[in-house]
Amino acid sequence: MTQAMIQARKLTKRYKRGGETLVVLDGLDLEMSEGRFYALMGPSGSGKTTLLNLIGGLDQPDEGSLVVADEELAHLGGAELSRWRARNIGFVFQGFNLIPVLSALENVELPLKLTPLSRAERRKHAQFALELVGLADRMHHRPRQLSGGQEQRVAIARAVATDPRVILADEPTGDLDRKSADQVLELLGRLNREFKKTILMVTHDPHAAEHAQSIVHLDKGQLGRVEENAPRVPAGEAQRSVRT
Amino acid sequence: MISVKMVWRNLMRRPLRSVLTTLSITVAIGLICFLSTVITTLYSGIQNADNRRLAVMSAVGLFVELPIKYQAAIEKVPGVEMTTKFQWFGGYYRSQKNFFAQFAVDPATLFDMYPECRVPAEQREAFQRGRTSCLIGSALAKEFEWKVGDTIPIIGALNPHPDDRAWEFQVAGIYHSEVPNFDNRTMFFHWDYFEETLEAGGREPGVGVFSVRVAPGADVPRVIADVEQAFHDSEQRVDCQTEAEFQRQFVTMFGNLPLFVGWIGTGVLIAILMACINTMLMSLREQGAEIGILKALGFTDGATFGMLVVQSLVLCGLGGLIGIVLAWATQGAIGTALGTTFPGYTIQGVTYALAAAVTVGVGLVAGIVPAWRAANLRCVEALRETN
Repeated sequence: MTQAMIQARKLTKRYKRGGETLVVLDGLDLEMSEGRFYALMGPSGSGKTTLLNLIGGLDQPDEGSLVVADEELAHLGGAELSRWRARNIGFVFQGFNLIPVLSALENVELPLKLTPLSRAERRKHAQFALELVGLADRMHHRPRQLSGGQEQRVAIARAVATDPRVILADEPTGDLDRKSADQVLELLGRLNREFKKTILMVTHDPHAAEHAQSIVHLDKGQLGRVEENAPRVPAGEAQRSVRT
Repeated sequence: MISVKMVWRNLMRRPLRSVLTTLSITVAIGLICFLSTVITTLYSGIQNADNRRLAVMSAVGLFVELPIKYQAAIEKVPGVEMTTKFQWFGGYYRSQKNFFAQFAVDPATLFDMYPECRVPAEQREAFQRGRTSCLIGSALAKEFEWKVGDTIPIIGALNPHPDDRAWEFQVAGIYHSEVPNFDNRTMFFHWDYFEETLEAGGREPGVGVFSVRVAPGADVPRVIADVEQAFHDSEQRVDCQTEAEFQRQFVTMFGNLPLFVGWIGTGVLIAILMACINTMLMSLREQGAEIGILKALGFTDGATFGMLVVQSLVLCGLGGLIGIVLAWATQGAIGTALGTTFPGYTIQGVTYALAAAVTVGVGLVAGIVPAWRAANLRCVEALRETN
């Protein structure tokens, strides 16, 4: 039986806008297992990104309990939450969010500065992560010298560089063409299958969601249906898996 | 934790803006060094004054001469160890723009009264021997490329030569003083030559200032009172004061210059601070989303605060450093340009320390405002700007 990586109980989040209180998450109960690939779907305003931000420790819930990677996030303060995030969470954003003044290698190395690794070890880890996403030949390029798909692959390399337990992806293919989007989705699938990363991906795109093992629907801040899915595995990888 | 490389590249994101801000700090720090040095130069004469030396001049004013015979009377006052006399010559070399101080002095007593006037022994003896010889300061020698043995023609504007020609002086020695109250841009020549030449033209020379040294252990205020009392009923009353007071008179001639200069310096400081804060706030606006990314990656509020402060310190530090180096490199040229108005213009160590402190202070204050905002920036809001 797989262990729960994410557990939300009566999770509530409200925002105040112009004197009006909006309930974005309304007593949400949710459990996600370790090592699975989840797609989080729902209409705009259903609370997908808010949930992702809460799970990633970027925001705090108003009520309820949220345990991620064995830590009750409501108990963590600002600096503790930052350290926890550095150890456990890798983020992939729709807009890539690379630091424009740093090269691809330096961007991937950035989160490793929060680890006790030496400079040489950091370099080695960052190079490995870039090789993993197929960008070994673009290490010294700045983000503006890369295509959108390449930028997102650098962002994925940065997300996995510290070997986090959870990868949170917010519309990772939203700004990409179909071919680049498929490459990114296949990469996320591979991270899940080969490295057993727990992945939670917010998406509007049913095609993207097909890469996940479970599709979780949110509606008006509450959990909707959960669909189990048999994700596509690239042909070459499937043959390798049969052989082993 | 965040590398210096990243700080530097953030600054170079808008190179023109960073260069212009750095240059404005350079100019401001250079100006602060200059203004501060003008003040320290003005006061250096007072601070370095010998408290056993007195100046005796006419009670009417500095430009009214005293009779030579007063010297003997002063020497009779109890507590007076020795005296020497000075008279302002008021001439120029070739053209009036080549102006510097010249004094007729007594070569026998000058060096005993002013041991800070350093000159090689053989040059001192040559000066004392030669009736038309003179002693020039090292700065003056450098400025006019004069050397020992040269003959210097000086037009006597206040004291014209009776033959209606320039006075001629042979350079017997070049002195150098390390103390700012005895500047290196003055010429001293023989009293006897001065006196005899004027007498040949039918004029009797007077004395501008008698310099008096008080004997060790003597009561200085008592000696001052006795000197003034000695001439109370004479043809001219005298004003006797300590060397520090005498120097202070020159400072007050400039009015309340220190206050005025202080206001200018403060104005420059405020202007540069505003410019730096503005630059750093613009940097924050450009880097706001990236600060959100850094926080999402696990960098703490303190790390982002530090990044902005270091960025500001690097920007200001670079400008300040260049300003200090430029001020140091140009002090000789500025000193020459200021000439006798501010003799001994030399930037003191305390001024460099002040400039460095101002640089760091501006860097910190300019960095703290945006850094505080960055530290308090909510990660989710910062990221929302990019997505």
